[in-house]
Amino acid sequence: MKKLVKVLCLIMAIAMICSCFAGCGKKGYTANNTKYVIGMSGPLTGPAAIYGLGVQNGATLAIEEINANGGLNGVEFKLEATDDMHDATKVATNYSSLLEKGMQVSLGCVTSAPCAEWTNLSNEDNVFFITPSASNDDVPKYDNGYQMCFADGNQGKAAAEYVSENYAGQTIGVFYKSDDNYSNGIFEQFKENVSKDVKIIETVFTDAGATSFDSQINALKDCKFIFMPIYYTPASIFMTQAKDVIASDAVYYGCDGFDGIDAIEGFDIKKIPQQVSMLSHFNSKATDGKTAKFIKDYTNKYGTDTLNQFAASGYDSVYAIYQAMSAAKVDDVTISASDLSDKLKEQFQGGFKFKDAVTGGGNDVSWDANGYVNKTAIKFIIKEAD
Amino acid sequence: MKLKKFKHYYSTFIITAIAVIFTVFSAGIGLEKSTIYLLEKIIIAVILAVSLNLVVGFLGELSLGHAGFMCVGAYLGGKFSAIMLPNLGNSALNLIASIIVGGLVAALCGAIIGLPALRLKGDYLAIVTLGFGEIVKSIFQNTSRESFGGALGLETPRFDKEQLFIYAFIALIITLLVVTNLMNSKHGRAITSIRDNEIAARATGINVTKYKLYAFIISSFFAGVAGVLYSFSNYNIQSSKFGYNYSIEILVMVVLGGIGSINGSIIAATLITFINTEFATILTGNLAVLQNLLYAIILILIVIFGNSPALESFREKYDVKKLFAKIRKNDPSTINSDEAHWDKIPTKISMDELFSLDVTNNDQNSVLNIQDKEGK
Amino acid sequence: MEIITTIINGLSIGGIYAMIALGYTMVYGIAKMLNFAHGDIIMVGGYTIYVTMNLTGHPLIAIAVAVVFCVILGVTIEKVAYKPLRGASPLAVLITAIGVSYLLQSLAQIVFGSAPKMVRIADMGSLKIGSLKIQVYTLVTLVCTIIVMICLTLFVKLTKTGRAMLATSEDKAATQLMGISVNRIITITFAIGSALAALAGLFYLLKAPSISNTFGSMPGIKAFTAAVIGGIGSIPGAMLGGFLLGIVECISYKIPIIAPYTDAIEFLILIVILLVKPTGILGKRRREKV
Repeated sequence: MKKLVKVLCLIMAIAMICSCFAGCGKKGYTANNTKYVIGMSGPLTGPAAIYGLGVQNGATLAIEEINANGGLNGVEFKLEATDDMHDATKVATNYSSLLEKGMQVSLGCVTSAPCAEWTNLSNEDNVFFITPSASNDDVPKYDNGYQMCFADGNQGKAAAEYVSENYAGQTIGVFYKSDDNYSNGIFEQFKENVSKDVKIIETVFTDAGATSFDSQINALKDCKFIFMPIYYTPASIFMTQAKDVIASDAVYYGCDGFDGIDAIEGFDIKKIPQQVSMLSHFNSKATDGKTAKFIKDYTNKYGTDTLNQFAASGYDSVYAIYQAMSAAKVDDVTISASDLSDKLKEQFQGGFKFKDAVTGGGNDVSWDANGYVNKTAIKFIIKEAD
Repeated sequence: MKLKKFKHYYSTFIITAIAVIFTVFSAGIGLEKSTIYLLEKIIIAVILAVSLNLVVGFLGELSLGHAGFMCVGAYLGGKFSAIMLPNLGNSALNLIASIIVGGLVAALCGAIIGLPALRLKGDYLAIVTLGFGEIVKSIFQNTSRESFGGALGLETPRFDKEQLFIYAFIALIITLLVVTNLMNSKHGRAITSIRDNEIAARATGINVTKYKLYAFIISSFFAGVAGVLYSFSNYNIQSSKFGYNYSIEILVMVVLGGIGSINGSIIAATLITFINTEFATILTGNLAVLQNLLYAIILILIVIFGNSPALESFREKYDVKKLFAKIRKNDPSTINSDEAHWDKIPTKISMDELFSLDVTNNDQNSVLNIQDKEGK
Repeated sequence: MEIITTIINGLSIGGIYAMIALGYTMVYGIAKMLNFAHGDIIMVGGYTIYVTMNLTGHPLIAIAVAVVFCVILGVTIEKVAYKPLRGASPLAVLITAIGVSYLLQSLAQIVFGSAPKMVRIADMGSLKIGSLKIQVYTLVTLVCTIIVMICLTLFVKLTKTGRAMLATSEDKAATQLMGISVNRIITITFAIGSALAALAGLFYLLKAPSISNTFGSMPGIKAFTAAVIGGIGSIPGAMLGGFLLGIVECISYKIPIIAPYTDAIEFLILIVILLVKPTGILGKRRREKV
């Protein structure tokens, strides 16, 4: 009997503890907002941290500028950045904690794999997001999601067109990362769309072997054109290791992941004899216009460490949200995420043009019905062949 | 006698009570989304820790690839549910069928890995499972988009978010019942006897390989179950998650909770998951780098404090169990828990490899071994 | 011709694995623990080279500073984190090692940021022998690792300290009775292991001049695999395992169909070898006595 009383007491105690956990659901989280809250989830630590920090810094810079200019009708913005370590399982927690912190609109996730989770979660609650850099084709699959960067598939198609035109009948090399969805997504579309008379030598590397590319370089050594849909760090290692092996009149051609390759501390791109070019939406060497101003402000504040397309795209995404919100005449700071989403969707589907973009060569940016971005892709020659 | 039996199922009862309370709450006023996600995470972590404890604590073998079995369960269970979606819909039936499929496939992998590895003496299981985990991860990462999603991960149906945690609780309770029952049965005693002294166990007529395999397969089955639950709690699963770091994370829960203590595993898994989630929600923005730093410092301090031989007397003085005993006005010496103190448990992680320079393989040449041979 | 280049490349990457594997193997054989923080010592070594290269611009000074710094760090970690646990369960030490690994990685991110840093140590160019074109650093790495291994073998074989190490591994208590300080031997083991890790960091940077805070974790786990393949505890085994793994890796990357599965293949070899020969190729273990 005594034991039974004890057990009952215990159950009562547990019930009390549990009740602390269980607040009331479904309340208006945004009711107490005094600023518009923009949420984001990205890798702020771990191997992919450079991308997450870039977006965070770019977005913060944009928000500070907007706030300094009086915000949206006098109401300021605020960024809540959470860390997902490039791990999709952390997204659900981040997403719900952001909602509870009063998130009204978001930048989604920085990287594609976690963003696949975010896409579905945000669709449940109808939270609008525009991701600066999660470039997977499926990210904008619901009507509340948009991309600021080019989708992988479109980059692959653009590269395939370029190759089919210029290298018909020749042998080209491809160097991509087989366990990375960015790399895979571009390469799949590239392979599908490239004309049949271009012979392709495929080489891959994986996360575990991202340091020594000797055998891949050997396989590619006779190619005059090497397509590299990868990020710039492995690319710079590849180029350093390959500079004497691969013919000096060869061309390295990358996508937006290449951006920032010439800014890596300690990597002297001038010592690479081959031509390095890329298809991108951001020119980190711009000397005029809004882009140059952004580069200057960013460098003053955060240094060149994370100055890349992620930072620029994060900056642009915040401005796009700001412009769309002012175009939609949002004036209630406690507007719920879902209501705001409906207003923003109306804008983005109704031919909203984002002006003064840092990316896309300074031209206007718009979005198509699928949520893919329409902007100018710039083929940069980062460095001419020697 | 009855009370003694009740004692074994103490934790199961408490978990059941918690499950009922949360269910009532969720049906009544509803739960915060973050609470539900946290619950799902905690339950999955507890199932993993308890099932790993079966191998590390009760069998005394080290496994560094528990996440690999979870990965197999998650992918195959997730794929099965995606295939069955048109027929069964996103229903409880689909969930249960997927859990069984995922668990069985993981158990099959456990049998394939365990059969050769467990026949060897020593901690080879640790390294074989480490390899297995990495192989599984690498294979799923490079599958085609249509089969298992490849690098972008497998899209799985997410179960109704208000209800999944209830089913997860049921799975957890079943896990606890199975493991506690097993450990208090004849088979369980055979398994622990293998841990304590393999040669003596063999001498008493216990089929050592069979029982080792038995425990290992059950453990991988539940890892698979946890994997399926995981795939149902997410829209998208990526195999890169299931690397050796994740296996280690589960091992940390088991070691911190106390090897061979089911209650300890439950508490440690809950606390670690909770702390990690709290860190992730509190330390945002520029503070995010502090997450790992704090976690690492806490981890090192706890392990040193809890295990250092030099602090033995200090620990005894402030032993939690004894503190409770004082409150109950009992003599501390009369409290004898069924769980042995974990650092006293002779795990077979013996590290008997010798440091050597020999190029020839001289099992035969060593003085020790010659004596052994003569002895036989 | 192609295959020769591949094998030379494999040997040079294998040499680096072997160097790291030596650290694992010595610590495992003598201190009886799995030092999972070993990979992060490589990372610290790499960052030290990066800092000193920027300050002085002289490769040799950078190498010396890195080796010294890593030795100090390795010994400090041993004293602070592992020594209090001597005599406790090996698993407790394993968990502490993991804690130390997280600690070093997050400290590196706080100090150096997340962006990978490029480190140019020396530009060595390439060498042409007939139709073979080989990078000079490949040869340098290969030669240096072999020299280091010979030195280490001689050290263990010929010096008093070296033999004390072998004795400590056989029987700690008996060694203590012979008047050898086991604690000192373990400290020396960590010092040598950390120095080797610093050198491995150097050769990694010669090959791939980019460093970030997770720089050491993958080489660390690969080298651990190599140590186990060769027979953990055995010095020649670690070298053999390292070279074997390096060659397999390079050949596998050459063949397009299996290239994505390279990691899986490496671990499969590990499993197969363990099943055929449980102690690894050259491993040696004490027989269990009743």
